[in-house]
Amino acid sequence: MRHTLLSLVALISVLVSGTLAFGEKSEVEKPKAGKPDAAKSKAEGLALFQQQIQPVLVKQCFECHSKKGKEIEGGLELDSPAGIRRGGDSGPMLISHQVEKSPLIRMLRHDDDVSAMPPDDKLPDKVIAAFERWIQLGAPDSREDVGPTTKEERYEAGKRHWAFQLPQPAKAPTVKKTDWARDEIDHYVLARMEAEGIRPVADANRRTLVRRVYFDLVGLPPTPEQIAAFIGDDSPDALARLVDRLLASEQFGERWGRHWLDVVRYAESSGMEFNFTYPHAWPYRNYVIDAMNQDKPYDVFLREQIAGDLIPATEGESPQAVEARRIAPSLLAFGPKRHNSSGTGFRMDIVDDQINTVFRATLAMTVSCARCHDHKFDPIPTKDYYALAGIFLSTEPLYGTIKQKYSNSPTDLLPIGPNASALHAAAEAHEKKIPVAEKQLTAKRESLKKATAAEKLAIAAKSAVEKRAKAELVAAKGQPEVGSTATDAAQAAVQQELAEAVVKLEAANKQAATLKSEVASLEKNVAELKKNRPPRPQYAMSVRDRAKPDDTKVAVRGNIREPGEAAPRGFLSVVNMANPPRIDVKQSGRMALAQWITSPENPITARVMVNRIWHHLFGRGIVESVDNFGMIGKHPSHPQLLDSLALRFMEDGWSVKRMIRTIMLSRSYQLSSTRDAANMKTDPDNRLFWRATPRRLEAEAIRDAILAVSGQIDLKRPSGSTVTPLGDQLVRGIPTAKIQPPSNSRSVYLPVVRDYLPELFDLFDFPSPSLVTGGRSVTNVPSQALYLRNSSFVAEQSKHAAKRLLASKAATDDAGRADLAMRWAYGRDISDEERNGALKLVQQIRDANPKNADSDVDAWAAWFHTLFTTAEFRFLVDIKSGDAT
Amino acid sequence: MNDFALNKNTESKLAMTDNSTQPILARRQFLKAGACGLGSLTLAGLIPRHAGAGLLSPKRPHFAPKAKRVIFIFINGGPSQFESFDHKPGLKASAGKKGLKKGKLLGPLLNFAQHGESGMWFSEAFPHLAKQADHLCMLNGMQTTSRAHPIAIPMLHTGEFQFVRPSLGAWLLYGLGTENQNLPGFFTIKPTRTFGGPANYGSAFLPSSFQATRLGWGGQSVKNATISNLTPAHGRTPEVARASLELAQALNKGLLDQTDDVRGVIDSLELSQQMQQAVPEVMDIAGESKSTQEMYGIGDSRTDDFARQCLLARRLTESGVRFVEISSTGWDHHSNLNKFGSKAATVDKPVAALLADLNQRGLLDDTLVLWTGEFGRTPETQVLSGKETIGRDHNAEGYTAWLAGGGVRAGLTHGMTDELGYKAVEGKVHLHDLHATMLHLMGLDHKRLVYRYGGRDFRLTNVHGDVVHDIIA
Repeated sequence: MRHTLLSLVALISVLVSGTLAFGEKSEVEKPKAGKPDAAKSKAEGLALFQQQIQPVLVKQCFECHSKKGKEIEGGLELDSPAGIRRGGDSGPMLISHQVEKSPLIRMLRHDDDVSAMPPDDKLPDKVIAAFERWIQLGAPDSREDVGPTTKEERYEAGKRHWAFQLPQPAKAPTVKKTDWARDEIDHYVLARMEAEGIRPVADANRRTLVRRVYFDLVGLPPTPEQIAAFIGDDSPDALARLVDRLLASEQFGERWGRHWLDVVRYAESSGMEFNFTYPHAWPYRNYVIDAMNQDKPYDVFLREQIAGDLIPATEGESPQAVEARRIAPSLLAFGPKRHNSSGTGFRMDIVDDQINTVFRATLAMTVSCARCHDHKFDPIPTKDYYALAGIFLSTEPLYGTIKQKYSNSPTDLLPIGPNASALHAAAEAHEKKIPVAEKQLTAKRESLKKATAAEKLAIAAKSAVEKRAKAELVAAKGQPEVGSTATDAAQAAVQQELAEAVVKLEAANKQAATLKSEVASLEKNVAELKKNRPPRPQYAMSVRDRAKPDDTKVAVRGNIREPGEAAPRGFLSVVNMANPPRIDVKQSGRMALAQWITSPENPITARVMVNRIWHHLFGRGIVESVDNFGMIGKHPSHPQLLDSLALRFMEDGWSVKRMIRTIMLSRSYQLSSTRDAANMKTDPDNRLFWRATPRRLEAEAIRDAILAVSGQIDLKRPSGSTVTPLGDQLVRGIPTAKIQPPSNSRSVYLPVVRDYLPELFDLFDFPSPSLVTGGRSVTNVPSQALYLRNSSFVAEQSKHAAKRLLASKAATDDAGRADLAMRWAYGRDISDEERNGALKLVQQIRDANPKNADSDVDAWAAWFHTLFTTAEFRFLVDIKSGDAT
Repeated sequence: MNDFALNKNTESKLAMTDNSTQPILARRQFLKAGACGLGSLTLAGLIPRHAGAGLLSPKRPHFAPKAKRVIFIFINGGPSQFESFDHKPGLKASAGKKGLKKGKLLGPLLNFAQHGESGMWFSEAFPHLAKQADHLCMLNGMQTTSRAHPIAIPMLHTGEFQFVRPSLGAWLLYGLGTENQNLPGFFTIKPTRTFGGPANYGSAFLPSSFQATRLGWGGQSVKNATISNLTPAHGRTPEVARASLELAQALNKGLLDQTDDVRGVIDSLELSQQMQQAVPEVMDIAGESKSTQEMYGIGDSRTDDFARQCLLARRLTESGVRFVEISSTGWDHHSNLNKFGSKAATVDKPVAALLADLNQRGLLDDTLVLWTGEFGRTPETQVLSGKETIGRDHNAEGYTAWLAGGGVRAGLTHGMTDELGYKAVEGKVHLHDLHATMLHLMGLDHKRLVYRYGGRDFRLTNVHGDVVHDIIA
């Protein structure tokens, strides 16, 4: 079973001339010079090739392994010398002069554990013998290379893929409906619609718009006052000012920082089979939120996260800014890890996760597909992967953890905060004293043990002598002649012995007593050292360059035990840059990588980010596959719009806030959600953005909105994370209540422990924090309804909301309360019918418990609870507004 | 065509759209679907969004299924095949001789006898199960990737250990949906929190609705375990709760003209109401007759917990749940192997009763029952800190699992290990093959059940797996 090419090639152990990289021309290997019969061998080999080998290749192999065939199976091309020398995805097929080491021969022989070739019938022994002889003779090939191999052609074709071309400036298209556009964006969007015979729907009413803007920018519902203020502001720049105000609020970073945390699979534990806490991941979370709020230019933001530790401080720069930069590369450290693993395998898995995360987050490229073979679709050869791997292998991730069972390779961490280095040094110095003191204590205890043993011996010795002395006395009494010399002498001797024994015992007693007190003092010392640990600073995860940065080699088929050709550190070969950053061999190369990714000459980076922004504001990216801009990703629905936005983004200093603002102020963003019947026929999925697609809020926004309505939300940033006090331990041993303690903080601050997410997150499609996710799924399942209807969280918040409602002076009677509740929850007035429904529900509860003093709270809680379970509460839809706004 | 409801806003359809009578892929096509490969039958999956309640509605399989539901009995720790189902007279004869590793060959501690018309071997530790011999398909040539719990347990559940991948049950829900919309489609009872924990029943990159509903935790009694949010925390009367639901639905209906997703919300609310009734009903075993309860071993302190799990598994699958996993822990006999019999006694009667019960209800034919550990054990004594103990170390190269019902060849003993039981030598079934075969029995081609994530198509069996046709009836 499993006679696959992949397993076949696992057997190959030797590589000769090495796998040729994409695009390189192969040279037919020359027989080794100096061999006297080289020329003769070659002549014989060539003849053999023409007469016996080539016909077999044509007849038996070309069907699957040539340009003319149906497929190029396993990347192996046998119709050109270059292809035959190169071998397939899994390495060379033949090794000159080495018959037994050539996989081809094993395949022809239909050996076990290799793919038998040809698959159906084995070739006659005579033919196999001819192949063996041919390889023995150096496998010369009489053909000439005519043009590139299919693999080379595919690489060239891949290079022409839209994403690898620089964004092109263009003039915005002209449109028929000239009074519609507010921004260049609208020209691109409208032009596509006009081309397809679609008309944009009307603008959203202001009530709808203000709710959309609040949720999109800060992830919280607007209060009735905020809504009224916007609706009442009829100045032309009312929306611009609202957008600016929200962009400037702290809540903006909490909303948009979370989008980025999805992409970099942020989490506070290692996940995998032994899931260890990461108590020091949270500073990165705050870094991201702060960066968003500071509108840190996106190129700087990326450079810091890849190589922030390597960027020198500039004059006048605040220590906080420098420290933030060193926290930024945490994303290379908090990825999922198998801490029970170790050695090169462990390091390579970390590197793979780093490559995957960095390239999918920044370039939407699935580079890690090239770990075991050239990328199947995109022009990313394995060699590129290992060129990048060299950079990350030369980087030491600082993820912390402590050495304990199932955690084999702890690292340092980055001390942060005021006086961090001094505090850390003092704490470390103190920590070192403890084992020293403990060692002293152990030694002293050992001495005490010996002294106690000696004491016991001395006691025994003394009592033995006493016994003899007593016996001596009795014996003497029994003697007829009392006072005989012999008896006296014996008595004197025994008394002498006794005296000596007493002295020895006293000495032993003294020794033991001294040691006892010394042990006690040392014990106290140890206890005090342990008790009086100096305060530690806070810590963050980070990275640093290793002492000896180095290139690595291609691991054939991803197997680190099978090194292939050298892969000098570098970047993706498919991207052409006039002046690519140079990698200083004395460094890891991360700085150069960061510059390469954020170079204006990199065609993808800016496009990926503007597309992510568009995705969050419209519910779908211009490139729908937000994390895959490769050949099997989706093509942009509006390529010129994407280019135009990418260019504007870079020209405007990579400002995320200004890009968001620009898009929000476009007319395209401000449309209603009306389902125009004609448009629905042509474009039901709204690929042309002719209306605002109704969107469900994310888990965080749903929770924050409930807390906002209940009045319980705590908008203050909590200090650190509740994971920090848990220390370094296996998550499985921690009670759930401690992993997710109750909190009224904004959802972005809840601990993200892999596999142990807050229940609401799990139910409402929070992405797996082990996976890079630019676009979340949206599901609608009964377990969500059960949570909203029955969970203690929603029940409690409904009660809080009811108490808040009853205390509010804005509503004085039941009708007013029903209305106000809806203003809080939906941001709109209640209809008569809805009010009747609410009042009926409220009355039903009052009637059921006429004597219950809390029945009013219960009654209004039921109304809030009802609102929380509805679609309107968690979807951004058109608000049917009675007040014509 | 099966309209898979995941990508309503996109043109793309998932892998399941292809339900033509395609033959099983040729090996060459299969290779193309390998790592980073594009399964030729797949269209772009992309980001699933706005999937309604229909996400879990029944889907048409690739071909006619033999089994409709799965009960996965996870014997956690690596149960010894030598004391259970793999009869090794050769080992008995060589007992005491030096083993291949550090220990001495340890003869089976229990006696074996043949049972049923099939003459299947059972140790004396499984007297009840032995009576079901003719329903079982014994796999004595099992192999898996690693003999370390932390690797082998995620492997067993997700087919992978290096990366977070969807679990077997999640793949089945993705492929087939579930039959009873009033119940979750995938239950795991008393799962372990270790070695991957929730990832062993998670959905990874598949939509989260495909993850299991958990009942209890490993180490806790199943008797008092509950499913979260089934019981309202608000303390209102059912009438008020119903009134609140109706009011919410009335509000929802006002939005139907804007998006079809509201239909999903309305459905999910309605379903939640039904689930609130259906789940407690199906979980309540009080309605089972006394004789049934006794047959399973409920009430006997040794068997009570596992008996409840088995009975729940029957009740859930009978009610249309697609996949139920139950677990027994404590099978890691590095020492104290002499207590194997008493361990086996905690599960023997319940499992036998489960098979008999399924059979008498006519359910066994299309219910696939799997019994397996994450691996098995070696034929030699365990040497722990230089001391020899009566115990056995882990073994991934040869172990035993069994299947029953669901279209497998009943009464068949398939595969064998070498004379001493170190390695599978004949009829080898690798874990990936077992996964492929289970999907096949459920009507799914493991090479076609793919999901596009991060630029490639993933499947349960990665690039591996061959359906073991020899064990299919």
